[in-house]
Amino acid sequence: MLIGIDVGGTTTDAVVVDGNAVVKTAYVPTDHDNLLNCMLMAMDELVRGIDTKKIERVVLSTTLITNMIAEGKTDPVALVLIPGPGTNPKDYALGESIVLDGAIDFRGKEIDVLREPQIKEAASKIKAQGKSRVAVVGKFCQRNHSHELKAGEILASALPGSRIELGHRVSGQLNFPRRAATTLLTAATKDRYAQFAGDVARALKERRISAPVYILKADGGTLPLDKSVEMPVETIFSGPAASIMGVMALTEPSQTSVVVDIGGTTTDLALILSGKPLLSAKGARVGSLLTHVRAFAVKSVAIGGDSAVTVNGGSLAVGPHRDGSPLCMGGRGPTPTDALRVLGMSKIGDAVLAERAMQTVAEKLGCNSKQAAQKVVDAVVDKIVLEVNEMFREWEQEPAYRIWEIMSKEAISAQNVVGVGGGAPPLVPLVAARLGAAAIVPKYAPVANAIGAAVARPTLTLNLHIDTEKGEYNVAEEGISGRVTDRKMTPDDAEKMARRLLAERAARLGISEYASEAEVTYSEVFNMIRGWSTAGRLLDVRMEIPAGLLASWGRC
Amino acid sequence: MSSKNKSGKTGLIFFPAFDWAISPTHPEREERLLYTRDQIFEEGLMDLPSIEEYKPRLAEKKDIARAHFCVPDVESQVTEAHLIAAGSTLTLADALEKGEIRNGFALVRPPGHHSMRVVHGNRGFCNINNMAIMVEYLRTKYGHKKIAVIDTDVHHGDGTQEIFWHDPDVLCISFHQDGHTLYPGSGFVNEMGGPQALARTLNIPLPPGTTDEGIHYVLDNLIMPVLDEFKPDLILNSAGQDNHYTDPLANMRVSANGYARLNEKLAPDLCVLEGGYAVETALPYVNTGIIQAMAGLDYSHVREPDFVPGRFVQSEEMKREIAHTVTQVQKIWEQRDELVEEALEGLGDFYRRKRRIFYDTDMINENQEEVVRLCPDCAGYMTINTSAQRGYGILNSAFCVTIPRGACSSCRDDAKEEYAEHLDDRRIGYVLMQDKDKDKFKFYNNMTRTEKGY
Repeated sequence: MLIGIDVGGTTTDAVVVDGNAVVKTAYVPTDHDNLLNCMLMAMDELVRGIDTKKIERVVLSTTLITNMIAEGKTDPVALVLIPGPGTNPKDYALGESIVLDGAIDFRGKEIDVLREPQIKEAASKIKAQGKSRVAVVGKFCQRNHSHELKAGEILASALPGSRIELGHRVSGQLNFPRRAATTLLTAATKDRYAQFAGDVARALKERRISAPVYILKADGGTLPLDKSVEMPVETIFSGPAASIMGVMALTEPSQTSVVVDIGGTTTDLALILSGKPLLSAKGARVGSLLTHVRAFAVKSVAIGGDSAVTVNGGSLAVGPHRDGSPLCMGGRGPTPTDALRVLGMSKIGDAVLAERAMQTVAEKLGCNSKQAAQKVVDAVVDKIVLEVNEMFREWEQEPAYRIWEIMSKEAISAQNVVGVGGGAPPLVPLVAARLGAAAIVPKYAPVANAIGAAVARPTLTLNLHIDTEKGEYNVAEEGISGRVTDRKMTPDDAEKMARRLLAERAARLGISEYASEAEVTYSEVFNMIRGWSTAGRLLDVRMEIPAGLLASWGRC
Repeated sequence: MSSKNKSGKTGLIFFPAFDWAISPTHPEREERLLYTRDQIFEEGLMDLPSIEEYKPRLAEKKDIARAHFCVPDVESQVTEAHLIAAGSTLTLADALEKGEIRNGFALVRPPGHHSMRVVHGNRGFCNINNMAIMVEYLRTKYGHKKIAVIDTDVHHGDGTQEIFWHDPDVLCISFHQDGHTLYPGSGFVNEMGGPQALARTLNIPLPPGTTDEGIHYVLDNLIMPVLDEFKPDLILNSAGQDNHYTDPLANMRVSANGYARLNEKLAPDLCVLEGGYAVETALPYVNTGIIQAMAGLDYSHVREPDFVPGRFVQSEEMKREIAHTVTQVQKIWEQRDELVEEALEGLGDFYRRKRRIFYDTDMINENQEEVVRLCPDCAGYMTINTSAQRGYGILNSAFCVTIPRGACSSCRDDAKEEYAEHLDDRRIGYVLMQDKDKDKFKFYNNMTRTEKGY
């Protein structure tokens, strides 16, 4: 049996899955001040009458990190940058930082040295600020870790007991400001997250649940709880990821679907392209910071069942704000929920109150209440369809740097519109009809998120960079580098090497059994020509275990 | 007016064509923009709120035919890479005209500024002229009249110059390393444009070793004042980067900072990358600096690893030489109206010139005879008789006719007659018609007696 628990914004949903059957579901309201507690309440309700020895796996999806950052409850961090030549660091919206001399170039070559006294000076400054967490990030330090290592070492010895995070461990991909932001957030959340993870482990032990515990990440993959403390920021936005994985679990494989999660005030949209959830091109935006965190591309549209309906000078507007609950549910209305009730498209709320809500709209528009309700529903559908089309357009317009990428990218359209969330059932068929797609509201739509968490498999990424002229390779995330001797290494050789390194990384993270699922998602090779002959090759390989479902899950 | 005062983003298209090369070890190879990619991606420039990245599109055949006579047709002369590079400039032109961006930079390859009006093959690493294609598009689609093209590549922008040679509304200014010392061996002060457009082509040959100081002297004392007087709708920069002090194919001493400052001063509406072959030591820094300058960001932190301010100093003699050239060109510009008047006085109804053009990359020798009608009512139609021999291979010949924008009815009729007269003339391979007024383009094959058009 598998357990999936998604601690969402308003409710915490939980399921027990056995093979391909949903055995039990549970819901408790989310208590933002005590996420652990509401998670445990859901767990207790779920396992009542169930033999805990039969539980094979527990997966949690939590808003912990999201909330911490949104509420500013993170720990203070000193950001130390080694930017080298290029952009003025002030042009990055990274907040206050200490800038060190020293520079590495794109080839990983040292082009300016670190200055030790300056680092010691930085340490005193950090000490004076009373900060005990430091993020050290250098431009191109993923190609040569030495500056970050050296600066980190000096800072650690000058600041005993402090936590030092190094940029190259966060991501091997290009983009210094994103790496800085991600490292900063890692340092700011690691301790509190570790405490949470410890609490979870203890609470489960008390309940005699000995199954391995995993946490869901923003890319729809799971990671063992005890290993996730290394990379807490990756657990951000696991809620939408859980829903998308749930849709994957509840629909046919290999299809192109739009996932529509209609809530009270927002509608979350996501795309599954030929069975693969679309990832945001460069990484997630967390508050005001752009990061390297791999996350599904989720678009939040400010419209939902509780959005306020207003009429201004004869023109109708739905949202973006909320003005209390729908009138038919005892609020102040009018809202789309009232409109759906009037049209008989849902049974939620009181019919008389809904009619009254639409009457107020009708008067201002000079029509009857049914017509007014229809206009409200049309406005909601219009907005969602517009945003879905925009998402497809943005995907088509993602930049490409090779001829074949530009020549082979064709426009695609949705086969299905899959609804999850409370507001979905009546609206999804309307959205689907407009997009010329099939409407699907899975049987377990309300707990799709918890199912997604329960049956998601691990994901893993590894970036291997090889420079055969220098005779070096490195995997920044692992902090490893070494020698290569073959100057004429082929992409095939590099991919084989990446596969081996990924298997080692998977073993270290306790997810070995999935290493064979790894795919090469990016591979490039460049001959370096100096003069008129080949001096060496630059090879980059990105290997990933992509988001997917456990083999035990036969789809419903 | 130039849009330099508009607020908004800087549009950027980065198309490094990582799967295209002239040959594996050629300077114009896959690796050329690799380190530039690394640098600008690592800088996170595309994420900055002042920069918007666009995806390139493919130019249409018609877009190419508007600027070139491709012999025998467009598809034989261009590959997908060329269509994407040219299309990138059009995407940015559209974004600029729609007001989405305040300026834009097509950081794309393959380059184009050595491609002339007639295209038989690759010249100076260029098959089609991205800049000229963009200029013709901007004029046809958006009705711009006056455009200034400033060629800041180290090589003379001979292709662009040739395409707009007779056009008084397109001001072509090129500064470059002296043609006595560098390909393509042209771009001297006395190359000033056709009789109707004299001094609308300005060339500033500079001595090898010219530094930031030298090119900024040219900008401050010549180019900026000329632009102020010409008052173009748009300023465009053919932004080659091979004036850099590390470029392996040239001998100048300009720095990344010098290039960034140039773009800040010039404030071009659109930039198109041309050459620049110091792939590690110059391009990453120069491109970063240009993007920052265009986006109004601080570029003072961009510095080549081996650069120290004051590293390069011009000799007094070199300064005098540059000042002398600038004075000569200033005079040409000041006398522009008299020059045209005088030139036209001595000519009859037609202006003719014969030329030989060598295509270094493809080893093609071309012979041309160009005839322009000096029409009092319009720009006058033009014909070009061209034949080209590739090595000892086949001889390709064509007769080309251009009807200018706003052609008078007499020029239109005569041009059509010229076209018709040459059809089925077995001494000529192809007959091409470029009707810029109606934006229609025809290609006739005299051997198969078939016509096609865009």
